[in-house]
Amino acid sequence: MNDATHAAGAPAPPCLSCHAITKRFQGQRVLDQVGFTLAHGQMLGLIGPGGAGKSLLLKILCGLVRPDAGQVRLEGQDLTRASETQWQQQRQSIGMVFQNYALFDFMNVADNIALPLRMLGVAEGEVQERVDDILAKVSLRGVQEKMPNELSGGMKKRVSFARAVVRRPPILLYDDPTAGLDPVTSAKIWELLRDMQRQGTTAITVSHDLGGIRHLCDQWLLLDRGRIVFSGDSEALFASHDPFVLDFWSREHSHAT
Amino acid sequence: MRPRPAPPHPLWLRPVAAAGERGLQVWSATAGVGRLSWQILRRLLPPRMDARELLRNLYTVGVKSFPIILVTALFVGAIMVIQAGLYVQQYGAEGLLGWGAGFATLREVSPLLIALMFNGRVGAKNTAELGTMKVTEQIDALRALAIDPIDYLVMPRFIAMVFMMSLLVVVGDATALIGGAFTSQLLLGVDMRIFFQSLIDYVALEDFTLGVYKAATFGVAIGITSCHFGLAVSGGAVGVGKAVNNAVVAGAISIFLLNYLVTYLIP
Amino acid sequence: MNATPATTPRRIALGRRPVAALGALCGAVGQPLVLAGSVAADIARVATLCGIYLIRGPRRWREVLYQCLRMGNHSVVFVIWVAASLGMTLVYQSGLQAQRIIGDLSLLGPLYLQLLLREFGPTITALMVATRVGTGIAAEIGSMQVTEQIDALRMSGAHPVAYLIVPRLLAGVLTMLCLTCVSVLVSWVAGLITAQVAFGVSPYTFASLSFIIYGDLILMLLKATAYGLAIPIVAGASGLAAHGGSEGVGWATTQSVVACSLVVLFLDFILSGFGYLFLLR
Repeated sequence: MNDATHAAGAPAPPCLSCHAITKRFQGQRVLDQVGFTLAHGQMLGLIGPGGAGKSLLLKILCGLVRPDAGQVRLEGQDLTRASETQWQQQRQSIGMVFQNYALFDFMNVADNIALPLRMLGVAEGEVQERVDDILAKVSLRGVQEKMPNELSGGMKKRVSFARAVVRRPPILLYDDPTAGLDPVTSAKIWELLRDMQRQGTTAITVSHDLGGIRHLCDQWLLLDRGRIVFSGDSEALFASHDPFVLDFWSREHSHAT
Repeated sequence: MRPRPAPPHPLWLRPVAAAGERGLQVWSATAGVGRLSWQILRRLLPPRMDARELLRNLYTVGVKSFPIILVTALFVGAIMVIQAGLYVQQYGAEGLLGWGAGFATLREVSPLLIALMFNGRVGAKNTAELGTMKVTEQIDALRALAIDPIDYLVMPRFIAMVFMMSLLVVVGDATALIGGAFTSQLLLGVDMRIFFQSLIDYVALEDFTLGVYKAATFGVAIGITSCHFGLAVSGGAVGVGKAVNNAVVAGAISIFLLNYLVTYLIP
Repeated sequence: MNATPATTPRRIALGRRPVAALGALCGAVGQPLVLAGSVAADIARVATLCGIYLIRGPRRWREVLYQCLRMGNHSVVFVIWVAASLGMTLVYQSGLQAQRIIGDLSLLGPLYLQLLLREFGPTITALMVATRVGTGIAAEIGSMQVTEQIDALRMSGAHPVAYLIVPRLLAGVLTMLCLTCVSVLVSWVAGLITAQVAFGVSPYTFASLSFIIYGDLILMLLKATAYGLAIPIVAGASGLAAHGGSEGVGWATTQSVVACSLVVLFLDFILSGFGYLFLLR
């Protein structure tokens, strides 16, 4: 169905796209006709006041929540009506870093990171290697045996990040990766994101730290109460004269600095 | 999946340490419950509480648990009749079906199971409510406003629970007997009139009132334990869950203990 | 949650009040039914998924063993305490009545054992396990749900029902079987002692197995198995339905106790009827 567009010379399907996503909670529209298109290797910055709509959009994009209306497409495949089993297959190529870490508190750090690998059936020896490897990459050596409640916020964030990227997924979703972290730790997290971008992953970041993501994102989506206020690339964002955009950017930016 | 790292005790000492820890928890719970009982007792004479809260709690506790208690009572009645029916079959004494089932139901099974259900529904909900209030610092806020949390929160709930438990057991008894009657007719083939006749002949009023005394006692137990564990919560969402768990278990233990004591003391 | 009724404007037509009252009545009756329906739907969904993953999925026996030990450890003292006090109470009550009406206590032991095996042993044990272990499961899974760990599990390729509930299901059946046997034994011994101390019935008279048939044992095992299956499913379903922070966890644990108890009573009714009709004639 979607391979028809793959004829010679036709553009490759975008990595991730959604169209007219709408979601209601108890009569309120939390998301209203939201859509965007993201090409391979790009990062989308999802910003806006409040929080519910943005995190919800991320969950809809990986099938954890079903939208009331609209479509979600991964590599051109329409996944809106996909079953949980089909989503399980697709999630092997998506990694998500949750806002509140969502680390499994009944397992230690090594098991937390190893779980996605074990679910794939990777051999035990290789699992250990890759866990140690990824912990080294996030500068967290030697914490394998610790339990999540023994870690600081920044460490938990890095473990959560490690768990999301250990399967080397081409798509990454970050829900407020630097929430509640001090500036030094935040900078380290942004550095990690930059690394992932250099390796060519496609990503979406929800954040209130505009200073941090300003130079990372190629595309932007500004939501207000579930509706799109601005959608476009960085050039268009910084050149915009929309009063809401200017107001939001200056307010949030001054908070960050 | 690895459990939490063990504390640094030598191997032979660990069961002792675990038992000791458990013992300390039980002691702290018992002491806390005792203290709360004393505080409630002091506020009973003369009675001082917020009337509006009392009414609100009477509604929440009574009306809302009504359907569940009714369903429980129906099941209890039906099950007791089936069990009694087995004996009646063995001895051919159909005329004793009402007595056999009704007696045990009114004196033992109905107050017990209704109390357990009440503990699980109202007791747990109460602990969860008070626990969430504790975790979100609302209890401290009350104190800062010079309002005594026990006067304002605990007393109305306590009175409401004792009163409603007794009332629910009265209604529950009636429902259980009706449920039993239907089961006897439909499943056992014993006519309802025979069933009710043997009830009237052999079951005395004191069997019924014993059940109601038990119910009131159980209400006291459930009220105190659920309020204590709710107010003693610490540790966020997980703490609330644990408190509800402990409260329901403590309530059940108290219920069985009191069941034995009341049976023994009021022959 | 507790909706306060809105104040009605003065201009309301007289005919509207009875309709509003009727609406409120329907709501009061209908709302619990709707709630019960949605809970039942949740439970049915989890039960079906459990069935599928039991047959299909990987069985993590180490996890099952771990859960077994945990469940047993948490509830064994509680169950013993309850079984003992219930045994004492029941024998004391029945003894008093038998003395008063029949005057002969020789059948006290065997009849009591029959009732214990058929009814009180498995059911009271199950209610206590539902209280202790069921709330534990609901609290655990509920707090995982509100802290997004369930979502993280799905993102890591594990299905929450298969990963969390199925091991507890297997452990539940095993634990219930063991605990029921322990509870029946303890209750019986407690009854024996009470009969001797309170009524002077000799242990030999009490400990007669003459009335016990295979049907009694089968019914007991059947009930224990059914309860052991039901409790983790119902508690797990309640946990997964939690939402909204610590309040949500509290609500999930509350609902779990009530739902587990009602399901146990319902299964008791069905299985007792089944026993009456087929097993114990």
